[in-house]
Amino acid sequence: MKGVSLQINKGEIIAIIGQSGSGKSTFLRCLNSLETVDRGSIEIDGQFLVKTGPDGKAVYANTVDAAQMRRKIGMVFQNFNLFPHKSVLENLILAPILVQKTDPAEAEKRARILLEKVGLELKVDNYPFELSGGQQQRVAIARALAMNPDILCFDEPTSALDPVLTGEVLKVMKDLALERMTMVVVTHEIGFAREVAHRVLYMEDGYIVEEGPAEAVLLNPRQESTKAFLSTVLMAR
Amino acid sequence: MEYLLILIPSLLEGTALTLKFFFITLVISLPLGMIGAVARISKFRPLNIFMQFYIWVFRGTPLLLQVLFVYFGLWLQFGITLDQMTAALLAFILNYAAYLAEVFRSGIQSIDRGQFEAADVLGLSRFQTMKTIIMPQMFKRVLPPVSNEVINLIKDTALIYAIGITELLRAAKIAAVRDFVFTPFLVAAVFYLIMTAVIQLFFKWLEAKNDYYH
Repeated sequence: MKGVSLQINKGEIIAIIGQSGSGKSTFLRCLNSLETVDRGSIEIDGQFLVKTGPDGKAVYANTVDAAQMRRKIGMVFQNFNLFPHKSVLENLILAPILVQKTDPAEAEKRARILLEKVGLELKVDNYPFELSGGQQQRVAIARALAMNPDILCFDEPTSALDPVLTGEVLKVMKDLALERMTMVVVTHEIGFAREVAHRVLYMEDGYIVEEGPAEAVLLNPRQESTKAFLSTVLMAR
Repeated sequence: MEYLLILIPSLLEGTALTLKFFFITLVISLPLGMIGAVARISKFRPLNIFMQFYIWVFRGTPLLLQVLFVYFGLWLQFGITLDQMTAALLAFILNYAAYLAEVFRSGIQSIDRGQFEAADVLGLSRFQTMKTIIMPQMFKRVLPPVSNEVINLIKDTALIYAIGITELLRAAKIAAVRDFVFTPFLVAAVFYLIMTAVIQLFFKWLEAKNDYYH
């Protein structure tokens, strides 16, 4: 990734589109510290997670501060990554209890509310393998929400799902959008991006090639490569 | 029939020793193997390289040779004298810890990276991730290879016969030589089969118990 710069405002929904290997997932993973950056900076709520040092190299905040900042960012993966040996409820309460030291009864109460929100209140005691892909992804969203993040990142959340299941996941994401949840979504769902995102970024070869309001980027792209990408994606439908 | 009644008590004595040796080895080498596995995948190079060397040595030489080395070798080369039982246990524990470390290592590495990443993003520490996310899943996955090792162990205990410990096989041999019949060996074979059958049933039960998720 090269020279990617982005400011995300509270309550804003940003969609990142682009071909596989364009660096969009890597960008998201840098925000989450799943990848380390060599250069550049990441600032969250006025606090630096990564700073540029005197030699131009990136310097990370100390572990305690970094951990605290990372808790503000939730993540939903393409492959759900639920914990298969834990029930749906356990998946949701595990981190709040272990990390935030939430009282177990309180964590469970909150988990049930979140599961109701994603329409899975009847699946509390099921195990992930008993759920459809769409249901698993909704549990994964609820699990991320259980940590009360300020920003929720989605890494191609519907790429592993068929159209019907994609629909139920997108619906949950739209509900979150209505609640003004700040979201960064790497996606191939152009329709979703157009309908929900405030801003759209088109990435190619590690660069942000085009950036702007969703309607502008998706309907009247200025760059040739964005046009080419959009026409292939839309043709495929 | 009458001969069996005379024979069996002495073989049972040998079996008791075999079982005692088996359990002590297992109880110590299982946790050691777990620690070894974590050391083996450690990012701290010296520890990692030491474990690779350790595993290479103990998997790369015959267990019988290791038993002889700890019992006779340490004494002849370094003047360290251990009693038979201690020497045999030491060799077995070090050997089985090496094998189990490899089994556990492959188990940990077979867990999808996404599990580590999900735990990481949720803010779990490395220790919490290992304890609550990785180890329980690893445990289920390694049951079949671990049951293999455990069955090997019960049969390998016969090797300590070589340094004069009267476990099941040696007890049978003493009787066979004394009475000039092969029957004691056949009875010993039946005893081993019963022990391995119990181990198999135990692991079958463990696998069934862990079958509540995929």
